[in-house]
Amino acid sequence: MIRAYEKEVSWKAGGLAIAVHLVLLGALLISFNWKAAHTTLDVTEVELWDSIPNQAAPTPEPVVPPEPKPVVKEEIKPEPKLEPKPIVEEKPKEEPQVDIALEKKKKELALKKADEQLKKDKVLEQKKQLEALKLEALKDEAKPPVKVNKTSDALKRLQQEALAEEKTAGDQQAIGAKAAANAGAIGEFTDKIKAKIRGNVNKTLCGEGNPELKFEIGLLPTGELNGSPKLVKSSGSAACDEAVERAIMASEPLPLPKDPSLFSQFRNLNLKFRPND
Amino acid sequence: MSISATDDMSIFSLVAGASLPVQLVLVVLIGTSLFSWWYIFIKIATIKKAETNAEDFEKAFWSGGDLNKLFEGLASSRRKPQGMASIFEGGFREYVRHKQQTNMDVSDVMEGSRRAMRAAYNRELDDLDAHLPFLASVGSVSPYIGLFGTVWGIMNAFRGLSNVAQATLSQVAPGIAEALVATAIGLFAAIPAVIAYNRFASSVDRLSVRYESFMEEFTNILQRKS
Repeated sequence: MIRAYEKEVSWKAGGLAIAVHLVLLGALLISFNWKAAHTTLDVTEVELWDSIPNQAAPTPEPVVPPEPKPVVKEEIKPEPKLEPKPIVEEKPKEEPQVDIALEKKKKELALKKADEQLKKDKVLEQKKQLEALKLEALKDEAKPPVKVNKTSDALKRLQQEALAEEKTAGDQQAIGAKAAANAGAIGEFTDKIKAKIRGNVNKTLCGEGNPELKFEIGLLPTGELNGSPKLVKSSGSAACDEAVERAIMASEPLPLPKDPSLFSQFRNLNLKFRPND
Repeated sequence: MSISATDDMSIFSLVAGASLPVQLVLVVLIGTSLFSWWYIFIKIATIKKAETNAEDFEKAFWSGGDLNKLFEGLASSRRKPQGMASIFEGGFREYVRHKQQTNMDVSDVMEGSRRAMRAAYNRELDDLDAHLPFLASVGSVSPYIGLFGTVWGIMNAFRGLSNVAQATLSQVAPGIAEALVATAIGLFAAIPAVIAYNRFASSVDRLSVRYESFMEEFTNILQRKS
């Protein structure tokens, strides 16, 4: 390896060679550490919420179903007529009209019928009460005027109560109807998402049986995946799990309802798959 | 997520995470680099010594002193003469031997001493040229070894990428970085080796010219003496 005459310098040369390499290693380490120290940025994760204003919106929005309104109006209309007799006469006329309307609706909405009936009954009851009070008020009118104020006050209160009840009932109904519609849309779009993913699953990887697997996915409002899908329940075969996972990734963008207020339901989805069904 | 990955990219974790061929390439390259630097320092020392020896000997030779005395001084010293001194010693010893045989022709005597000097010159040149071929091959081959390690590492990095549906840069970046370490070490071994080879080659050329011209001049002196 080395000549005889080189022996005297060989140790010195070896030491210098090692020193050179140590210097290089030190330079490398310092430069790498320097880089690492400067790349640690202060990162804050920001989540953009699209649905907050929309969630607030539905409460003022609800469209009061048209059925109760005419009743309210009809109820109010008789009030200005202070003569007791025509009101009493009108009453029987009104009822059959409402009943006909109800009958028509019965055919349309069998479920809503019962509620409606109850409401109508209530309204009628309140009407009767009102009319009784009005009659009283009319009777009292002949007597001292102070009492009139009292009864009219009571009348107004009753009216307001009735109105408020009507309104809240309407609201509740609207919200209930909307929730039902939302649930329908959510179910529909969950099925759409599943169908789209199912189309991309390579079923041959899932074997003969009927394995079931569950994935948890996060979605962005654009229909893209937020992060990678999380396997909640494995089918038992890693190949099958991966096939479904790949199918989920390949199905981007996933179908989402147009209504942004529904998106909160899709932010995190639990999907159940049976690839061989 | 990707930022934590860069935190993890110290040179040690890169090398430890590399595949076996890449690690072997790194070991080979570090070994050759150590050897080439060792030879570089040895050559620096020996060539410097040969140059100072030549200078000292030329000074002593041209100082006008007795050549017999100079020869005896060299022959009696414990250490074997080196460089120009060894050429002088070989030539003068042969000249003296031929001179002792009375019936020798002058041209034969000159021829004999010249051959002896040529032999000593060749031995000296062989010593001076030692390790230069090694430096030359390190300079030309180690970039290729490093490139091989890099190509292998990048191949692995991309093969790992094929199993992933969503390809991101953070999935290949560590593989490519660790692969590039091989090229870096290959270049670190090659660049000094090439520089040193060229420098040593020119130094050896200059020394050999010096030796040859000394041989010619010494032959003339011997011819005048005989």
